[in-house]
Amino acid sequence: MNAALIAGVIASSILSGTSLLYATLGELVGERAGIVNLGLEGIMLIGAATGFAVAALTGDPYVGLAAAALAGGAVNLIFAYLVVGCRANQLATGLCLMFFGLGLSALVGRPFVGALITGLPRMHLPGVGGAGARLLSYDMLVYLAAPAALFIWWLLFRTRWGLVVRAVGESPAVVYAAGRRPAFVQYQALALAGLLGGIGGAHLSLALTLTWAEGMTAGRGFIAIALVIFARWNPLWAIAGALLFGGAEALQLQLQAAGADVSPFVMNMIPYLLTFLVLILWGWNRQSAAPAALGRTHFGVE
Amino acid sequence: MARIPLLLAAWAALASLFAADPAAAQDKPPLTVGAIYVGSVNDYGYNRAMKDGLEEMKKNIPGLKLIEAENVPETAESERIMEGMIQQGAKLIFATSFGHQQFAFNLAKAHPDVVFEHAGGWMQAPNFGNFFGATQTAWYAMGVAAGKMTKSNTLGFVVGVPIGYAIGNVNAFEMGARSVNPKAETRVVVTGGWADKAKEAAAANALIDQAADVVTMHVDSPATIIQIAESRGAYSIGFQSIEARALAPKGWITGLGFTWGPFMTATANAVIAGTFKPAMVRLGLGQGMMAVAPFGPAVPADVQALVTAAADKIGKGFTPFTGPVADNTGVVRIKDGETWYGDKMGNFDWYVEGVIGKAK
Repeated sequence: MNAALIAGVIASSILSGTSLLYATLGELVGERAGIVNLGLEGIMLIGAATGFAVAALTGDPYVGLAAAALAGGAVNLIFAYLVVGCRANQLATGLCLMFFGLGLSALVGRPFVGALITGLPRMHLPGVGGAGARLLSYDMLVYLAAPAALFIWWLLFRTRWGLVVRAVGESPAVVYAAGRRPAFVQYQALALAGLLGGIGGAHLSLALTLTWAEGMTAGRGFIAIALVIFARWNPLWAIAGALLFGGAEALQLQLQAAGADVSPFVMNMIPYLLTFLVLILWGWNRQSAAPAALGRTHFGVE
Repeated sequence: MARIPLLLAAWAALASLFAADPAAAQDKPPLTVGAIYVGSVNDYGYNRAMKDGLEEMKKNIPGLKLIEAENVPETAESERIMEGMIQQGAKLIFATSFGHQQFAFNLAKAHPDVVFEHAGGWMQAPNFGNFFGATQTAWYAMGVAAGKMTKSNTLGFVVGVPIGYAIGNVNAFEMGARSVNPKAETRVVVTGGWADKAKEAAAANALIDQAADVVTMHVDSPATIIQIAESRGAYSIGFQSIEARALAPKGWITGLGFTWGPFMTATANAVIAGTFKPAMVRLGLGQGMMAVAPFGPAVPADVQALVTAAADKIGKGFTPFTGPVADNTGVVRIKDGETWYGDKMGNFDWYVEGVIGKAK
C-alpha cells in the first residue's frame, strides 16, 4: 500500500462516482414522486451523446453540458407523458425508454465518433501542488456533485415543493384531496430527474473519457437505480453509495496497476461483490424506506 | 375517408424512390464485397485499420462495389446483416471481428458460392478463410522504443481481455524493452472488455499513478488511453491503427498498425479470377500485413534507428520466444533450445520476467 495507490484510489473513486451520483439523484427524485424509471440508462446515454455532439459542434463543453441536461429532461418528459398521462406500466415503459435511449443516442452520436473535443476544464485549487494536485484538480461537475446532493436533500425535505413531491410518492389520492394535482407534480419531478440523469451521462463523455461510443455507460444507469435503494431514498446517503461503487471500480484497477497477486478476472468482479456484500449487510434493517406509492399507477380523477 | 388518397399519394411517392434503378444503367462491377465492423470506423483503432484496408482494396480494383455495416454486434444479428449483403450481390464477405466467426461460418455453409474471410479466428471451409497479423513478435519493436524512452523504467499496458494472444503481446513488449533497458518493468491492468472507455480511462490513470511514463494497450480503440496519457504528460504507443498518432501530438512515440490493404486486394483478385483457396493467414511486419507507425516529435534519431532495426530483424523472422525464457515467478516456461512459433501464440497464460501482473 503506497501513497500513490491511496491517492489514486481516492481520486479515481471521486471521478467514477460523480456520474453515478447525478444519475442516482435524478432517479431518487423521480422515485420520491412515486415513479420508477428503469430507463435511466437510456437517459444517461442521451445525455452523453447530446453533450458530446453539441460540444463537438460548438467547441464549448458548457453548452454541451446544458444541451445534455435539456435533452435528458425532454426525453424523460416523454416517459412522463406515457407513465403519468397515459398511465402505462412504469416498469415496461422504463425498459422501453432504455432501448429508445440506446438507439437515439447512437443515432445522435454517430457523426461524432472519433471527434476530438475540449472537455470540461479541470480546475486546480490555487496553492496546491505535487501529490495534492492530482487529488484536487477536477472538473466543475465533480465539485458540484456533493453540493447537488445537499441541494436535492434541501429541496425534498425543507421546501414545500419537496413536501408535495414526497406526499405524491406516498399517496397521490391524499395530495389530490388536499387540492393539488399529483400528475403535474410528477411531471415536474421527472423533468428534474431527466436533467440530472442527462448531466450524469454528460460527465462520462465530456469529462471522464472525452469520447463517445455506443452504449458507453456500460450499465451505470442500472447501478444508479440500485444505489437509490441502497441510499434508502435519501440524497445524503447517495453520496456514500456513489463513492462506494465508484471506489470499488477504481480500487480493482489501481490494485492491478500496483501489482496485486490476484487473478484479473477476480479483480474485475470486486465492484459487484462489494455491492452485494453491502446490500446483504445493510439488509438487516428491514424497515422499508420506499415511498408507499412507488410504482403504482394513480387512476384517480385528475 | 379523406386519409386514403393521402396515404396512396405518400405510398406512390415512396415507391417512386425505389422504382428508378440507376444501377441498371451502369456496368456490372467486377466484384461486390461486403464488410461488417464490430464498432465504428472512426475509432482510431481496429475498425479504422480494417476500413483503411478495404478502401485500399477498392482503389486497387476499379469498379469494385463495397457494402459496409458498422457497429455490428457479435451475435446472430451479424448473420442477418451479412445475409442482407449477400442478397445485394456480395460474393466476398469480410467478417472483421473475432466474435463474428461462428455466424460467418454458418452462412458459408449456406452459401457455397460466396467467399468469407474472417479476422482472428481459426475455422476453415472450402469458401471460408482466416487472416490476422502476427502481432506478438512485432510488439518486440514497440518494447525497444518504450525501453529507450522511459525515464521511470515503468511501462504501462492496458489489456482488454487477457487471451493468450494479448498476453503474448505484453510478453514481447517487455522482452523488447529489456533488450535495451534491463531495468524496465511493465505493469498490466485488465479492463475485462475490448471497448469499455470509462474503465480504460481509469486504467490508464492507475498506471500513470504507479509511475508509468509510457502507456500502451491492446484494446479495440487506443483513443481514450492515448488521450489520458497525453493529458497527464506520459508517452504513448499506439496499436491497431497508425492513424492514432493524431491524438497525441506531443507524447506519441510510435505504434503498431495493421495494413490489411495488400492482403484484401489479393483476396478480392483471387475471388474475381476464381482461384481462391482458403488458408489460415498470419502475416507480420516483414510481409506487409503490419506496419510500424511514424515516430513522434519526441523520439530522437538514435532510438528511431534502433526500433527500425528491430522491426527489420522481426520482418526477417526473428522471434523473442526462444528458450530459455522464465516467467515472472521464476519458472522456466520455454526451455533452452525450444522456440515458440506462430501456432503457439494463443498458449500464453504466463507473463515473462519483468511484467508486474497476474495472467490468470
